[in-house]
Amino acid sequence: MGDGTAIAGLGMTELGKVYGRSPRRLAADAVRLAAADAGLAPGELDGLIVSHGLGGSPGIELADALGMRDLRLLTQMNSFGATAGAMVAHAAMSVRSGAASAVACVFADAPLKPKQSSGAAYHRDAREWYGFGGMTAALGLRSVNSFYALAAQRHMARYGTTSEQLGAIAVATREWATRNPLAQMRDPITLEDHQNSRWVAEPLHLLDCCLVSNGAIAVIVTSAERARDLARPPVHLWGWGQGHPGLRKERGSEWGLTTGAVASGATAMKMAGVTPSDVTVCELYDCYTYTVLVSLEDYGFCAKGEGGAFAASGALGPGGSLPTNTGGGQLSAYYMWGMTPLSEAVIQARGDGGERQAPSNDVVLVSGNGGILDHHSTLIVSPHPKGA
Amino acid sequence: MDIGVLRRDGRTDPFFDGAAADRLVIKHCASCDHRLTPDAGDCPDCGTTELAWADASGAASLVTWTVTHGRPAADGTVPPPAFLALVELAEGPWLHARLDGVERAELREGLPLRAVFAHPDEGEPYMLFRPWTE
Ligand SMILES: [Zn+2]
Repeated sequence: MGDGTAIAGLGMTELGKVYGRSPRRLAADAVRLAAADAGLAPGELDGLIVSHGLGGSPGIELADALGMRDLRLLTQMNSFGATAGAMVAHAAMSVRSGAASAVACVFADAPLKPKQSSGAAYHRDAREWYGFGGMTAALGLRSVNSFYALAAQRHMARYGTTSEQLGAIAVATREWATRNPLAQMRDPITLEDHQNSRWVAEPLHLLDCCLVSNGAIAVIVTSAERARDLARPPVHLWGWGQGHPGLRKERGSEWGLTTGAVASGATAMKMAGVTPSDVTVCELYDCYTYTVLVSLEDYGFCAKGEGGAFAASGALGPGGSLPTNTGGGQLSAYYMWGMTPLSEAVIQARGDGGERQAPSNDVVLVSGNGGILDHHSTLIVSPHPKGA
Repeated sequence: MDIGVLRRDGRTDPFFDGAAADRLVIKHCASCDHRLTPDAGDCPDCGTTELAWADASGAASLVTWTVTHGRPAADGTVPPPAFLALVELAEGPWLHARLDGVERAELREGLPLRAVFAHPDEGEPYMLFRPWTE
């Protein structure tokens, strides 16, 4: 047990339409909040890992902004939406090896501007486009929404997955969000609301797509031994993994139908010594409802092609057999890349979920997904020490 | 959705030369006989950066698709939907593409398509894919 690691602190700024604070300022606030949550002075941190985001995210100069000195680990990491899991794994390995003892991992973003639509925050637009590579955008494939729509449509054509099954994910996730005071969207929705929401890119409706949020979230990773003596109950790290399948887009490709969750999940679950049937709570990266559906299949919670039926069975919502995205996820709560599922996993593992606390928090699976289903990370966390 | 103006980038000019003559030109690795997209810089099998340009037949089939809808204008008019897709060339590579002259009801995996070229007044020609029957 001497080499166990744990998440000892969680810091979340206000999330959503939070204006007037730069990503660097938000990141610094989140790190201070996370340290305070753990009962550590900022000076007791000797490692900082900053998630690279899209434009404007803070870099390693964040350490200066925080007045951190004599750090033994300072770096910026980027695996797109898989970064949170990658950061925590790197922090845990640094702690385990003795290279650092208490490491903050932080993500911050502020794409929303006052008086601008959410859609504009990440939308590419230009009048002129260059070369063959630019032709795709010139012809209209300009938004991530379109690429996820291509993947979801392929799954539908191959396995008979339906929009209503994707809608079941949106409805279950919103039901969780109604119980989360931090969620941006707290009004319940019905399957009919999902079906009636406008098309973003067929087969994806507006309610298949995540929110856009400003804010920052940080966690503190330290040894399980040290975490026991800190302010909050340790959230033990049982396993981690990544998967980057690098699927080629050419004849015979399974692009869109399968993801890095296959390898990432298998690696993390093997390290943790668990199987899908041991997992009691899932916190899945849900940039789209389809990402949840395909991740559930690739982790082995159901067979390939049966994600739609599994979601429609009611398994994911409150009272279901596999409580999933218990805080309302990125679809209904807040979009902080991989920090959305990770922060909710910490809350659930601590038993801090209040009205939305899952009945059993023994084994919590956290996923990250980046690119267009290109990059994946997994963490397995628990309130219990590993192997206890 | 409006189609934007396309300019050359100096790296994929032979594609546009071909398009101007209504021919689809792609990349070819001679050592592996691997056909690649026009913007491929190296062969993923052997790693060579010595890729040649080669004519493709223009025959393709539909892999998957999406229909995108622009936001309504201030006067309430809704732009026509755009049919966007991944298509598989007969030679193997997949391209992100825009479909032309298709109905929603006929969209299916494997739908036979053929490359056609549009020649706008401004900018380079661009490629569309249309349903194709012999
Ligand atoms: Zn080759």
